[in-house]
Amino acid sequence: MTTKVLVCDDSSFARKQLARALPGHWDIELSYAANGAEALDLIRKKQGEVLFLDLNMPVMDGYQTLQNILKEDLPTMTLVVSGDIQPEALQRVKALGALDFIKKPVDGELIVQILSKYGISIDEKDEAVTSHDDNSVLDLDDSYKELANVAMGRAADLLARLLGVFVMMPIPNVKHIEINELEMAVQHIKSNDSISAVCQGFIGSGVAGEALLIFNETSYSDIAELMKYDGEVDESAQLELLMDISSVLCNACLNGIADQLDVSFSVGHPMVIGQHIHFDDILKGSATQWKKLLTIEMGYKIENRDINCDLLLLITEDSIDSLNDRVSYLLE
Amino acid sequence: MTQESSDHGQVNIKDIHWLMDMLQSIDVGLIVLDKSYRVKVWNSFMENHSGVSPAIIKEKVLFDIFPSIPENWFRQKIESVFLLNSSTFTVWEQRPYLFQFKNYRPITGAADFMYQNITLIPLSSANNQINHVGVLIYDVTDIAVNKIKLEEANNKLELLSKTDHLTQLNNRGAWEGYLEKEFSRSRRSSHLCSVVMFDIDHFKKVNDTYGHPAGDEVIRRTAAILRDTMRMTDIAGRYGGEEFGVILVDTGASDAMVFMERLRKRIEQEVVKFDEHEINFTISLGVSELSDDCDDYKVWLEQSDKALYVCKESGRNQSHIYKPA
Repeated sequence: MTTKVLVCDDSSFARKQLARALPGHWDIELSYAANGAEALDLIRKKQGEVLFLDLNMPVMDGYQTLQNILKEDLPTMTLVVSGDIQPEALQRVKALGALDFIKKPVDGELIVQILSKYGISIDEKDEAVTSHDDNSVLDLDDSYKELANVAMGRAADLLARLLGVFVMMPIPNVKHIEINELEMAVQHIKSNDSISAVCQGFIGSGVAGEALLIFNETSYSDIAELMKYDGEVDESAQLELLMDISSVLCNACLNGIADQLDVSFSVGHPMVIGQHIHFDDILKGSATQWKKLLTIEMGYKIENRDINCDLLLLITEDSIDSLNDRVSYLLE
Repeated sequence: MTQESSDHGQVNIKDIHWLMDMLQSIDVGLIVLDKSYRVKVWNSFMENHSGVSPAIIKEKVLFDIFPSIPENWFRQKIESVFLLNSSTFTVWEQRPYLFQFKNYRPITGAADFMYQNITLIPLSSANNQINHVGVLIYDVTDIAVNKIKLEEANNKLELLSKTDHLTQLNNRGAWEGYLEKEFSRSRRSSHLCSVVMFDIDHFKKVNDTYGHPAGDEVIRRTAAILRDTMRMTDIAGRYGGEEFGVILVDTGASDAMVFMERLRKRIEQEVVKFDEHEINFTISLGVSELSDDCDDYKVWLEQSDKALYVCKESGRNQSHIYKPA
C-alpha cells in the first residue's frame, strides 16, 4: 500500500536532501510543505500519514505545528528533522508528541532504522526508483541558508551547554551585497546599538572569508550571570566573556560548515575589532580588495534573557564557485 | 611519503623525525597537557624563553613549575575545551601573557615582557576521546605595542583637536558639539539647562594699549577664573577671540544668574600684572534657559547672545537673562 509522506521544511535544499535520503524502494506518495500551516492543511487532506517536520520555519514553526497536531488530534506520525540539536529541543518535541528526532544533515540508513523502530512499513514498490527527489533546480541561496542552519544548530548546542540555557535559533539570513552595504546584512543589530565585535578569518578548499561576531553590549550582565562570573563586569571582564563566547560560536559554526562541505578550514586567531563601538566602526580601517560578498547572518537569542548576538559569515566573491561545487556534491 | 599516506594527511614513522624538527624550531610555543595538567610536550620555544628544559617539566603539573600562571583562569579555559570539544582563543588584550617571558631583544625590543596570544586545541586520541589539550603560544609583542602606541597617539590627537591652545578649554567646535548633545539630552529628559555667553568688555583696548601678549594673559586669566568658579559638570569653551560659552547642566536661569554674578564680581576684582602695568577688566554675560520654543541648539545659543547684547547696550559689566520679545 502506498504511504503518504509529507516533508515540511522552509528550505527547498533541505526538502531535496530529505527526499534523497528516503529509501528508494519505499512505495510512497510524496508531498511538500514550506511551513507548518501548509503542512497542517495537507495532513487534514490526508496527505501526511508520515510527517518529516523541520523546527525553524517562518509563518508557523515546528513547535506550533506539533501543538496544533495534538490539539486537532490529526492522524499523522511525526518525525522531527532539525539542525537544532540542543537536548532541550529533543525533549520539547517529544513532549509535544513527536515520535523521534533526526538530526540534520539526514542520514538515509538512520531513517530506515527509525521507520522500522516505529513499525512504519516500507512496502516495496513494483519498480524501485533510485531517488524520490524531483530533480527540480537547486536554489543556491537556499542551500547556503540550510548549510548555515545546520552549522548554527551545532553552535547553539555548544552555547546552550556552556551557559546552561535554551538557545533560540532564528532562520539564517543570506544576502549578496557590496562591501559598503554591510549594514544590510544584519537585521538583528541596530546602527545605534553599542556593540563589541570580534572577527576570525578562515580559508580552505577554495572557500575563504571571515566570521564576525557582533555582541550587543546590553547582553553582558546576563552572560556574566550565566557564566557565574564573580565581580564587577568591567571592560576586561566583558572582553573575557566576549572571547569565550566567540571562541565557541565561531569554531562550532565554521566546523559545522566545513564538515557538511567535507572540507577543513584553516582558522586564524580572533581579532578584537573593538568594544563600545557602533556598527559603522567595523569597516573603519578595512582596506580590502573585495567588492562583493556573500553574507550569512545568524542571530542568536537566549530564552527569557536579554542576550543577543549576531554571527555573520562574510564569504569572498571568488569563493562562490568552489562553494557551489561543494554544495552540489551534497545532492549527489 | 607514500601516495596513500599523503592522501590522508598521515605520516610514516620515519617522517616523524623531521616533523618533530619543525615543531622544535617553529617560533611558536607548543605545549601538550593531559587532563591533570601534566606536561607531555614542551618545544624549544618554550624551553628557550622560559629556561625550563623538557627534562625538568615533562610529566610535572604545569602550575607546580610555573606558580605565576593564573591558575583559576587557565583551568576554566582548559576545562571548557575538554567539555565542549572545541578550541578556545585568548588575545593579549584580555591578559598580556600566560607565561612571563622577558623581552629578549636588547635594542629592538618594544616592551619589558612578551605579549602573547593563546590557542587551546582539543586533541583526540586514537579512540576519539579528548584526553589532551594543545596549547599554542604566539609572540605578538610587536603587534600589541604598535596598537597600544597608536591608540595613545589617537587619544592625544583627539584631545588636541578639541582643546583651545591658549586657555586649555574646549575649542569652539568641541564646545558646540557638547551644546548640541546637551540640547537633545535636556529636551528628551525635560531637565533644566542653561547656556551662558560672555565676553571681555573693551578687549580691543587691552590689546591696543598693552599689546597682544598682555591680551593673551587676560584671556588666560579669565579662563582660569571661569574654571575655578564653575562646577565639575559644567562645560566651558572658548567660543571666539574674547568670547566664552558655558553650558550649565540641570540649571535654570535664576540659578545661572547666581553663577554669572559670582564670576562677574571675581573678574571685576582681578588685576592682571603685565610688565609694569596693572590691568583691570570686566565681562558682560547673557544666559538663556532652554525652553520649548527652541527648535535647535543654534536658536538657543542666539538667545543667550541676544541677552549678552542687551548688557553691552546698557553699560557692560553686568549679567542679563534672555526674555522672549
